[in-house]
Amino acid sequence: MKKLLFAIALGALALPGVARAECGKVSLAEMNWASASLITKVTEFLMVQGYGCEVTLVPSATTTAITSLAENNEPDVVPELWINSAPLYTKLEAEGKVKKATDVFSDGGTENWWVPDYLVKDHPELATIDGILANPALVGGKFHNCPDGWGCRIANDNLIKAFEFDKHGMEVFNHGSGETLSAAMASAYEAKEPFFGYMYGPTAVLGRYNMVAVDMGPYDADIHACNQTVDCATPGKSAYPAAPVLTVVTADFAERNPDVFDLVSKISFTSQGLSQLLAWQADNGASSEEAAVHFLTENKSTWEDWVNDAAREKLSAIFN
Amino acid sequence: MATYDFLFDGLGLRAWCGEKVSSGGPMTMAELLAKKNTGSADTGFSLDSIWSLPFPSLDELNRACPEFVRTRDMTKGVENSFLGFKDSLKVVLDPLTQPLSWLLEGALYLFGATPWWLMILFLAAVTYAASKSVRLMAFVSGVLLFLAFIDHYHFAMETLSIIFVCAFLCVLLGVPIGIAMSRSDRMQKLMIPLLDMLQTLPTFVYLIPLIFLFSVTEPKLYGIAIILYAIVPVVRLTDLGIRLVDQEVIEAANAFGMTRRQKLYGVQIPLALPNIMAGVNQTIMMSLAMVVIASLVSAPGLGVLVLRGIRNLELGVGLVAGLGIVLLAVILDRVTKAALARVNASTSVGSH
Repeated sequence: MKKLLFAIALGALALPGVARAECGKVSLAEMNWASASLITKVTEFLMVQGYGCEVTLVPSATTTAITSLAENNEPDVVPELWINSAPLYTKLEAEGKVKKATDVFSDGGTENWWVPDYLVKDHPELATIDGILANPALVGGKFHNCPDGWGCRIANDNLIKAFEFDKHGMEVFNHGSGETLSAAMASAYEAKEPFFGYMYGPTAVLGRYNMVAVDMGPYDADIHACNQTVDCATPGKSAYPAAPVLTVVTADFAERNPDVFDLVSKISFTSQGLSQLLAWQADNGASSEEAAVHFLTENKSTWEDWVNDAAREKLSAIFN
Repeated sequence: MATYDFLFDGLGLRAWCGEKVSSGGPMTMAELLAKKNTGSADTGFSLDSIWSLPFPSLDELNRACPEFVRTRDMTKGVENSFLGFKDSLKVVLDPLTQPLSWLLEGALYLFGATPWWLMILFLAAVTYAASKSVRLMAFVSGVLLFLAFIDHYHFAMETLSIIFVCAFLCVLLGVPIGIAMSRSDRMQKLMIPLLDMLQTLPTFVYLIPLIFLFSVTEPKLYGIAIILYAIVPVVRLTDLGIRLVDQEVIEAANAFGMTRRQKLYGVQIPLALPNIMAGVNQTIMMSLAMVVIASLVSAPGLGVLVLRGIRNLELGVGLVAGLGIVLLAVILDRVTKAALARVNASTSVGSH
């Protein structure tokens, strides 16, 4: 009798464990910039509250994340991986080690050269690259280039050669880090000074200040592909396409956790929507967690399509 | 009901606090999840509520009284006040720091335009003049030739020019400050916390706001970063060296009727020279330590290669560039130590 009671007690203890085992442990990368942090927090919330997962956040950056995937098959889920800066991804995908879950930016990330709107208002010709090169002094005489090690640096260096910046008297300033590039753009806009440089989006700085994308002409896939390699013999003129930004999962994770893989494959944002969220976050001094809460409370219809029925029920208890 | 409601009700400030809006500012995750447990009414005082008593921080008090300022309002306030008076700061600081820009640009141009053979010969000559040691001169030339051999010459020269200018300015500004500190206890009390802050405050904390003051395209930004960090050892050690001068020697100088200035230049500084030179040595080392951070704010040189290695995951590039920085540090260290040894030897007693 005692043994029976003991067995029943043990079984009762095991029950919560069984209930938890539906999802288990998930390691989720959190990149060190605003948009990625926000997406990670939304994903984490849905996983924990909807699917009962035990989520570990792994602070990360593009290069470190792709290396970790290559060498350690970790973390399980990597949201907002910019493929242009992680060329190793294509090789890993071909080997079958990682899988693309989805395009987390539904219309791709934007990469562009920008000038402030007050400059274009006073001088409409500055909206095109030819107009800028004809009047370099109007935009400050300097092009703010990406730091060394970013994918855009290679493309920009080739485009600089193709557009012949030196012949038009346009200097190039190579930034040391992304922080100084955003700070330079922000400080120029605050002081209403001329600015001409590269920025990618969606970012808080683009969401906060009204910049105009410079018209660089049409996009040509072959020319751009060559521009993105270091030893491109014939750099050409081409605009930037929308940059592919993916959520990537390890192949193991997709197999062992198909429900959560399905969730992650549906989480996706438009560029404009995310920029607005980031601008809201900056204006309200909110943390990425609070911005995630704001997104979840304001966009119930959007994320309800992402989760399965069981999760939807659990989450409705919170968002009644 | 917030925990600290009683405070504001008791002080009679409820009218000033105003109506509690359900979402006073962005909702936090904790608040969202709290909506799940809608059944649990908080009934009075319990042991549990003592254990989980929240600290009366700005955010916590704001929950009880919406008029109360939150921490994020405070940080926003700091930001706004900085943006507010940065224009007036700019008017004062820009002309003061412009010479730094000119010096850095000039040095970078000079070191870059001089042909390699002339440069290496010149540096070898300077080494010999400072240390009078043929071995050291050979070592320095060897290191520079090695760096040139692995195509790091241009980067090494950029780093070297920046270090020379910054270390020179550190010594030029730091020694007088150290001397002033040594003469006045009050000034020392004022300066020590400032020096501590300069050494420990993370550089990026004040560098990003500085970008709003000066343009990041100007060399003075990273020049200021390096100087603010590296000036501390020479200031401290000059102060220490002068204060450590034997009191009996000072008494003897007083007995001879020396004026303060004669004492300073004739007795104190020569006797403090070992410490001052140690300070100069440390200043140069700390300038080199700042190379990579300076490259984060667009300084040219070996730091750029290190960053490229980090970002592209080219371990070799980063390691070799880092090794280049170490080698530069070693040669500068040896040369200043040799100069210091000669200074020590010449000022030690027994030469008459």
